[in-house]
Amino acid sequence: MKLTAEMQDALQVVGKGGAVVYLTTSSRAGKPNTVGERFVAVFRDEYILIAEMFAQKTRVNVNENPVGVITMAHPVRGRTWSFHGPCTILQEGLPEGFVWEGLRAADALSEWGNWAEKEPPSEVPPDIRPPALVQRGVIALKVEGITDFHPERAGARVL
Amino acid sequence: MSVLTTRMKNWLEATGAHIGTATAQGVPTVVVADRAKTEGRSTVRFALSDAQRQQIAGNLAANPQVAFGPGGLGSIRAAYQFKGAGRIEGGDLVVEVNEIYCTKPGPEAGLRLDTLPDEAVVKFEETRWRDNGPPR
Repeated sequence: MKLTAEMQDALQVVGKGGAVVYLTTSSRAGKPNTVGERFVAVFRDEYILIAEMFAQKTRVNVNENPVGVITMAHPVRGRTWSFHGPCTILQEGLPEGFVWEGLRAADALSEWGNWAEKEPPSEVPPDIRPPALVQRGVIALKVEGITDFHPERAGARVL
Repeated sequence: MSVLTTRMKNWLEATGAHIGTATAQGVPTVVVADRAKTEGRSTVRFALSDAQRQQIAGNLAANPQVAFGPGGLGSIRAAYQFKGAGRIEGGDLVVEVNEIYCTKPGPEAGLRLDTLPDEAVVKFEETRWRDNGPPR
């Protein structure tokens, strides 16, 4: 599902006019995990990428239950979107030519495998800035559905 | 025994939360509440709209497990994740929190806080953040 230009503008780091997002995954037994993520971008119009910086439970969850939901967290500015779809982690060391849901891992990692260099968190205040950025891949979500999370329209399909 | 600190309560009450639930088979759904009320040492109550209640009532009936993180500015400044058992009560979502994690990026991401002594959690917060809640 192709994301609109407005969505693509929103799904980038705060310093470029985007937003922090929450990524929610779940164990196969239904135990959810909801974590805020700063390093976010859209890749090829339909994939949302997030820097994988030792997201331990997320990794366990998507390895056994590869689905996720991404919600806009801050600043929202009326962009009350939930993005749903298959979700995985791509990292160096995968078999050559590895493709997930139409996304070639090497392409995603080539562009976003070193997020700290590409988009350093210079706008983040010192007391909440990570002391060191260690990335070991990207979390990828292929958008297959978009719903509204505004309380009065919760669950309504956007696209 | 989980203990919500004053800082946690201040952030949750002011900024609400992104709340994850899931079917018994693990398909997640998220609702976003703008405000919360905290009760006692480990209870958080979220007022839900009718649409939000309809969205998660089925999940909770089959699977009460809930995870949530502070909304708005709290998603940046209040790096916590709370987990517990949720139920719909009087139109609200009520969560009895039984796990609390630090999600501050870096080496302490995923550190479990509810297993620490109360005073150690407060000390941890005082040495990691400069606020005790959102700006007024």
